[in-house]
Amino acid sequence: MRAGVLLLGMLGMWANHARGADEGQRLYGRHCLSCHQADGYGVPNMQPAITGGPWVQGDPRALAMFVLTGGFDSAQRKESESHNVMPPFAQLPDADLAAILTFIREKFGKGASPVGVEIVAAARSELPGGK
Amino acid sequence: MRSAKLLVSLAITMSAGVAPAAEDPALKLPAGFTATVVHEGLGAARHLAVDSAGDIYVAGRNGLMALRDTNGDGKADVTTPFGDVKGTGVQLHGNWLYVSDNVGVYRYALKNDELAPAAARETVVSGFPMERQHADKTFALDDKGTLYVNVGAPSNSCQQNDRQEGSPGHNPCPILEKYGGVWVFDGSKLNQTPADGRRFATGIRNAVAIEWNASQKALYAVIHGRDSLDTLFPALYQAEDNATRTAEEFHKLVDGGNYGWPYTYWDTRLSQRIVAPEYGGDAKKTAEKGKYPDPLVAFPAHWAPNDLAFHDGKGLPASYRGGAFIAFHGSWNRAPEPQAGYKVVFQPLKDGKPSGTYEVFADGFAGTIEDNNPRNADYRPVGLAVGPDGSLYIADSQKGRIWRVSHGKK
Repeated sequence: MRAGVLLLGMLGMWANHARGADEGQRLYGRHCLSCHQADGYGVPNMQPAITGGPWVQGDPRALAMFVLTGGFDSAQRKESESHNVMPPFAQLPDADLAAILTFIREKFGKGASPVGVEIVAAARSELPGGK
Repeated sequence: MRSAKLLVSLAITMSAGVAPAAEDPALKLPAGFTATVVHEGLGAARHLAVDSAGDIYVAGRNGLMALRDTNGDGKADVTTPFGDVKGTGVQLHGNWLYVSDNVGVYRYALKNDELAPAAARETVVSGFPMERQHADKTFALDDKGTLYVNVGAPSNSCQQNDRQEGSPGHNPCPILEKYGGVWVFDGSKLNQTPADGRRFATGIRNAVAIEWNASQKALYAVIHGRDSLDTLFPALYQAEDNATRTAEEFHKLVDGGNYGWPYTYWDTRLSQRIVAPEYGGDAKKTAEKGKYPDPLVAFPAHWAPNDLAFHDGKGLPASYRGGAFIAFHGSWNRAPEPQAGYKVVFQPLKDGKPSGTYEVFADGFAGTIEDNNPRNADYRPVGLAVGPDGSLYIADSQKGRIWRVSHGKK
């Protein structure tokens, strides 16, 4: 009985993870893919690559903050040669952002750690007005 | 004029015993045409110009390059970098070579048979604000030397927050005061600033492909249409709408003309001018009739028209006389739908107006675009020029390959 509950629990976690990955991929396709492309390599001169880069392998909270605030006033913008600037995505709920960031770190960041909702919420709390 | 240069060229062409350049089997062309590779390896080439002796001047992200074929085999064997301008525009006008970057238009005097100009660069106009989006100051010169400069809009659709979901458009759009149009200058006057120019036409998002049509004595352009309908307004548009509905518009530009950006776009599905969603559009609301002109031709969305060349018919079948070749650099912004473009089309014209549907003239540049990412295209056509014998020269931005496409005997 206890083993069965454990198995069911593990299956449930696996199902949640799989759903989360699917949802992250779906949301990436909806919000990010047209610029950063399906392979995460962006478009030369137009939008930068994220694949293998520091954003998807580094501090998840910094990544969450960048995606919430966008690139307009960023230090990276001055150094970038890309034509287009990333808009802020603060309009998306924490759960959607967490799913996207988890997906891109997994797929483009050599399996970097997932980004929990709490990390996005903490980054959002630092925004002016907390949102 | 540069008659000495022409005589040298004729002598070279008449020399015998030289193996001609190999045909490029990758390019698909109409029957009777052949493409040969003149040169490869210039990196991110952009526009190009060919003079009366067949010397080629290429503008590129890495700088300017002059190419000459000294033994008549069809391949450039002298490649000379020159100048200090990195950009897109290059045009010959009389004994002057005009070039441009993101902030100005310049010129070099060309003397006798010299290939790369020895003269110092002169500034015709400079001081355009340094922008990132749509910043190439491509240009055209008319037969009197009037200079028309494309000043692209540093914006997708003049949203209050550029490229941000749901952000409404500024109304009126203040960007149009200094961008989003064509400004006209005296092409022979030096050291002008943008303030010395006069706005010739407006409502033009970005006209990289801009060209003077000498037979019609008129200016034409093929305009890059707006991006991101679905990501910016998901309640109104799907990804497939974004990928297919916003035309690349071919227009004759007239003095005082307004071509509708950012308030409208030409919808290829509805064959109507539609109010942009940033300005109250609902994906089907039509623009006020007659306020903005219909395009001469509505090309498919996001094909990215990057150069335009009119042809007087010399050296080609009669059906090409007076028509226009257009280089489509190919899309990035159709993703996740399949990318498209990456070809040169021919639009037949009679008296400057379409006289039939366009044909794909040269295709096969891109090869298989792995992962649907344009960075993986083999080649991307970006520049066009007509040579002295009527051959069409095509420049590529991936590897800097230059083709010469000719009809009949090479």
